[in-house]
Amino acid sequence: MKLLVVEDELKTGEYLRQGLIESGFLVDLVHTGLDGHHRALTEHYDLIVLDVMLPDVDGWRIVQALRDAQSSTPVLFLTARDSVEDRVKGLELGADDYLVKPFVFSELLARVRTLLRRGNATLAQEQIQIANLILDIPRRRAIRGNVRINLTNKEFALLELLVRRQGEVLPRSLIASQVWDMNFDSDTNVIDVAVRRLRAKIDDAFEPKLIHTVRGMGYMLDIPEQQKP
Amino acid sequence: MKFWINGTPSLTLRLTLSIGAGISLLLLSFGWLIERSINNHFVDQDVDELNAARKSIESTIELVAAGESIEFLKNRFSSAISGHHNAEFLVADTNGTVIYATPGGNLTRLLTDIPPTRVIDDNTVSLWTSNGQTYRSAVFEAISPTSQIQSPLKIALATEIDFHLHYLESFHAYLRWLTILACLIAIVTTWLAVHQGHAPIRRISRQINAITSEQLHLRLETQGVPSELMPLAAAFNNMIDRLEDGFQRLSNFSGDIAHELRTPITNLMTQTQVALSKARTATEYREILYSGLEEYERMTKMVSDMLFLAKADNQLIEPELTDIYLVNELLELADFFEAWSEARQVAIVVAGNKEITVTADRAMLRRALSNLISNAVRYTPAGNSVQAVVQTDKDGVTVSITNPGPTIPPEHLGHLFKRFYRPDPSRRRNGEGAGLGLAIVKSIVQAHGGKIKATSTNGVTVFQIRFNTVDPHPYQHTTD
Repeated sequence: MKLLVVEDELKTGEYLRQGLIESGFLVDLVHTGLDGHHRALTEHYDLIVLDVMLPDVDGWRIVQALRDAQSSTPVLFLTARDSVEDRVKGLELGADDYLVKPFVFSELLARVRTLLRRGNATLAQEQIQIANLILDIPRRRAIRGNVRINLTNKEFALLELLVRRQGEVLPRSLIASQVWDMNFDSDTNVIDVAVRRLRAKIDDAFEPKLIHTVRGMGYMLDIPEQQKP
Repeated sequence: MKFWINGTPSLTLRLTLSIGAGISLLLLSFGWLIERSINNHFVDQDVDELNAARKSIESTIELVAAGESIEFLKNRFSSAISGHHNAEFLVADTNGTVIYATPGGNLTRLLTDIPPTRVIDDNTVSLWTSNGQTYRSAVFEAISPTSQIQSPLKIALATEIDFHLHYLESFHAYLRWLTILACLIAIVTTWLAVHQGHAPIRRISRQINAITSEQLHLRLETQGVPSELMPLAAAFNNMIDRLEDGFQRLSNFSGDIAHELRTPITNLMTQTQVALSKARTATEYREILYSGLEEYERMTKMVSDMLFLAKADNQLIEPELTDIYLVNELLELADFFEAWSEARQVAIVVAGNKEITVTADRAMLRRALSNLISNAVRYTPAGNSVQAVVQTDKDGVTVSITNPGPTIPPEHLGHLFKRFYRPDPSRRRNGEGAGLGLAIVKSIVQAHGGKIKATSTNGVTVFQIRFNTVDPHPYQHTTD
């Protein structure tokens, strides 16, 4: 997966690139709108991360040029101004998602992955199996090692999110937004409690442990490295 | 003093000019009237004089017997107007032959200059000049008393009016100078009065100039201010009141921000410096980075909360309005907090008519309600429950979040919605936010034109949000 990052802030750009590379992407980083414009139109990328506040050619023009050229490359734009107009403008011009600075890197990563997945539509899987955990999506059932586990609606939704995004670190804000549709930072540790409760049902009595806390970033569901086949 | 600034005449100039012009016009018309009436008076006098002379002449003629000689007639004429020394006259027959003329007079030309009139009055007398002298004059006819003279007689009568004219002329000059002087006095007086009248305004300006951002406690002195300027001074003082209040809040806010940010920054710096002071294991470094990350997250949240509040202060927040079912919203929040509140053994009970709606921005309303609910849960003792109740009446909608818990002392109650206000200082930094939560709730409620209040008695605390159906706020209305 090849990404283009257009970011005039040198330090931010460098960290973005490093973070994305370490998450398994190929990354081209450019610091000017002109370079970004050129690259976006001449090369193929799977996704473009675009700062809209560029000193020369602003991000909006790049999005516009891209859409004018009938390119459907997903664009995620970064903005420092969380004004409604900005947001609306970006999405109207054909950008796919946005993040307001300062953002948490794990949030960016999660959104990048969501956008990349959107392109190749996931099959409406009936069942997902990870190690000895089986999720029966239509029946909203979870089975772990042949034991049927009773989950509340939200617990199932949370588990489904973690399973569908297996191996991805999901920040708390994303979990709150996806499972409960709460798009704000709560002063509480409500997500931690919810995950703890889910973990008690899914993981406590079973091996291998699937739900992992990634400190400082969020939660991830995956088979531990040493247990992977 | 400048009379003309940027193409605009000064008030003093305008007032002086208009009042001066008015007074001058008045004086001029007054002078004209006086002159005219004196002149009329003179004309009347002259006409009387002429009529008296005419009467004398006519009675003289009547006394003449038919057979008297012309010489005798002349004699009679010579004594005819002896009482009227200013008048002179000339008697001629129809052919213009002079029968008698007042000695020294030269009225021959008058006979041909003006037509005879029947009566002598203001309208028929004529001004006539001869040899540099001016006369008021008239010509009239009379039937000749003797056949020796052809009838009718033509009599030219004139009275010399030079001394009247001289008097008028000097009076005119006198009046002109008097008028000019009076106008000047009027203008100067007006100017002085206007200038003097503006003195309180200048005094107020001086006082206003003394008020700087460091001197916002100063007020205009309202004593000795003329009643016309009282509203201005009072309005200005009110404005300064509001400015001072705003300024005070702003500077408190900046101070709070600085203080609140200094603490985590100090922590980060100390921690980093200590970490760098000697070599450590990778695990230790990781720990330090994690701990740093937590501080950063706290700061990020604080900054975005403050940004939200700053925007709310400047009316930059525009709610995206939709109709929201309040009970449903509260149920979803209860669902969201369920795991957390259950862990604290606190239940969240939602009650109310499911049909009650309010027009609001969903994300903002959720944020406000969630702050209230999480606060309530936090202060509720284990085993109790938080009540979230939606009620409606004919005027609007009320959402009350009620929880049992320690009574908030009345002195704290009024400050709860202030930024960075924490009733209990010991709760400062144990992960419960920066003390902006309730301030944000208030901002959101106000952005929707609602009101919020807190009450706390006998171990029960209630936060109540009120949305009125009829509301002056432009972009908010509620329905029920």
